[in-house]
Amino acid sequence: MDKLILRFVLFIVKTFLKKDVDFEKLKIIAETKLILDRRRVRLAMKNNAAKKEPGNQILVTLIVYGIMGLFIAFTIPIIKDIVISMTIIHCYVLFMMAMTLITDFSSVLLDTTDNQIILPRPVNSKTFFVARLVHILVYLLQFTIAVALFPIIFTFIVHGFFVGLACIFTILLTVLFSVFLTYLLYGLILKFSTEQRLKDIISGFQIVMTIVFAVGFQIVPRLFKVDKLMHFTMPIHWYTYFLPPLWMANLLESVKTFNADVPHIAMIFLAITVPLFTFWIMIKFLAPSFSKKIAALGNAGDETTSEEKNAAAHKIPLSEKLSPILCSNKTERAGFELAWKMTGRDKSFKIQFYPSLAYIAVFAFVFIFSSSKNYAATWHNLPNTNSFLWFVYLPMFTISTAIGLIAFNENFAASWIYFSRPLQKPGSLISGALKSILVKFMLPVVIILFAFAYYVWDYKIIDDFVLGIFNNILIFMLLSHISKSYLPFSMQPNLKQQTGKFIQVLVQILVIGALVWLHYLAIKVWWLVAALIPISAISCYFLLRTVQNYSWQKIAT
Amino acid sequence: MSIIQITDLKKAYDTNLVLKGINLEIAAGQIVGYIGPNGAGKSTTIKILCGITSEFEGSVHVMGMDVRKDAMEVKSKIGYIPELAALYEALTPVEYLKFSGKLYNLDDATIVKKTNELLRLFDLHEKANTRMTSYSKGMKQKVLLISGLIHNPEIIFLDEPLSGLDANAVILVKEILAQLKIAGKTIFYSSHIMDVVEKISDRIIIIDKGEVKADGTFEELKNNAHEGSLENIFTSLTGDSAQTQSTAQDFINVLNS
Repeated sequence: MDKLILRFVLFIVKTFLKKDVDFEKLKIIAETKLILDRRRVRLAMKNNAAKKEPGNQILVTLIVYGIMGLFIAFTIPIIKDIVISMTIIHCYVLFMMAMTLITDFSSVLLDTTDNQIILPRPVNSKTFFVARLVHILVYLLQFTIAVALFPIIFTFIVHGFFVGLACIFTILLTVLFSVFLTYLLYGLILKFSTEQRLKDIISGFQIVMTIVFAVGFQIVPRLFKVDKLMHFTMPIHWYTYFLPPLWMANLLESVKTFNADVPHIAMIFLAITVPLFTFWIMIKFLAPSFSKKIAALGNAGDETTSEEKNAAAHKIPLSEKLSPILCSNKTERAGFELAWKMTGRDKSFKIQFYPSLAYIAVFAFVFIFSSSKNYAATWHNLPNTNSFLWFVYLPMFTISTAIGLIAFNENFAASWIYFSRPLQKPGSLISGALKSILVKFMLPVVIILFAFAYYVWDYKIIDDFVLGIFNNILIFMLLSHISKSYLPFSMQPNLKQQTGKFIQVLVQILVIGALVWLHYLAIKVWWLVAALIPISAISCYFLLRTVQNYSWQKIAT
Repeated sequence: MSIIQITDLKKAYDTNLVLKGINLEIAAGQIVGYIGPNGAGKSTTIKILCGITSEFEGSVHVMGMDVRKDAMEVKSKIGYIPELAALYEALTPVEYLKFSGKLYNLDDATIVKKTNELLRLFDLHEKANTRMTSYSKGMKQKVLLISGLIHNPEIIFLDEPLSGLDANAVILVKEILAQLKIAGKTIFYSSHIMDVVEKISDRIIIIDKGEVKADGTFEELKNNAHEGSLENIFTSLTGDSAQTQSTAQDFINVLNS
């Protein structure tokens, strides 16, 4: 698809070509850039494409976007009010384009290798500038088509030819506006912060993006069941004047109904002028200062950060405060602290793991309300059910994925350090890392779920939660015990990551199922739950000891 | 007539003066070693000579052309090989060299022919169509060398050309530089590897903190500094050898404490 669009864009460029632009060089630069786009590994999609040499990564992403667009496009026939459905569509386009630009295209914008690769060659600055422009245009068009193709088709079908045409127009305006927002965000971050900070913020956005994908595919189809939303209407309020997607939606409504009262004319005016005006501001003011800052990125020293770092060095991090309390020997403390710090900093871990945390909320929602259409009644009846067991055991389904994840790291070669140190029981490294995950991720999740469950079911669930916590830990330890014992962050990603998963998932389901069932039965006898707590706790302790005492023979490499 | 002429070159990043008035004239056909500690301004000088950086004070002429006014002309007549494998790793060497060659206005047939032969000479032909993500530093450096030489430039600028290369490749690159010199090319390179610089350079320029500290043949440098090897001359000019020794002593003391 990119080649087709490139040809189209190049054709336009050629007709308006200025004399000091070298067309052949322009073409090769743009082509190469697009090849690089195709091959860039997108972290958000990493799970889908675990191949070694990604062939056409961008196509996979575009298809996922397209499917997402198809989902969203169903709002057009389903929701009666055109303003609502079009607001949703334009919000979606704005969000997706801005997010894509921030998370994906940032690596292109912030890349300074161009300076080293293209600047030494005889390419004049006009050609280089136009080549970048062509590249950005092709990139934007690809994503615009992927995101908006189905919504536009549906608009043509449902609302007719003229609204469809107008919709193409408003979506292009929305894309322009999203480009402006992205530049604004970058500009602000670069102005008030450092390059490293910018990278952190971008990876934060990437995580949000992954979560939205994961949750979106679950939630969006369910929303269509909500009757109220289907018949809701949205007149123009004062705040409508501040929300770009609403301008676009109202413009389309005007096209459909020929309504041209004063508020609608104001909307149309805003819809057209603001994106164009902000785009002009961007080209005129933001972009030049931005590219200057980017050019300086490579050269800037790190004088500013050393002071901050020194200040940070005086504070003892949380992980080092906790480790003496929770760990029984120094090796285990080392494993605990390493895992705590790495899970907070390693981007690929965060991107793979944090969305699974978001799944907890989705699962909770889905399990409780799955069968019903009447949310209010289900909610009202909740205290009389035993559904709290879902809350007790939900953490297990997701937190346990971390067991597999912490074995892998891009920096796996650094694990030589374990093998060169005089360690009697390397298992302590693993047990330390496991404790780290339990405290850092499971504990907060359990507390939140407990707070919620306590609010709904009151004190009678306390013993269930205590048993549940131990059972969770038991399952967690058991899963770690039966899967291969890799030292933390010691394996190369993607090679062994997938193997043995099926068995593990099967055992996971069986064990969790058995324990939940037992727990469910135990609720019927009032003292049994409390009596089971020590048994579960002691089992946890023994499993933990087993892991701690792993010898080198047990460690998988 | 000198092929490179630098007059009173000054360059500042923000308020930090990196080059404080460099004056150099370099005759055609020489191998010039440009050495100095980290942050001395080596890379900056090379970037200015290649027309990459155009914001500086003073005047710089390469082959009689002003690097600011005739940057395009200068760029097409010189080759620049940057340090630390700056290339698009997602491409294969063949793709990358085609890209780079086209930017020098070479036609496809020439590029393909030269690329294949040069890759074979560098023992890379078997991996010619593998993406460079899996390449070692030395292999990437070889690709960079080819990409900087493929248009047969008159002057070759190399920034740390030997970093990451294995012993055999170092010998090969040294030999290639010597052959290029015989062919009448001028070579201007920066390096940290003193014994190589000592052996292959016709002229050695030592800079520190943006100033030229020494300039001449190895023999001349040796006579002026009364030191045996280039390494000794280098530390005596750019560092404080007594300081270095006491730092080393302190280091051992801390280990023992």
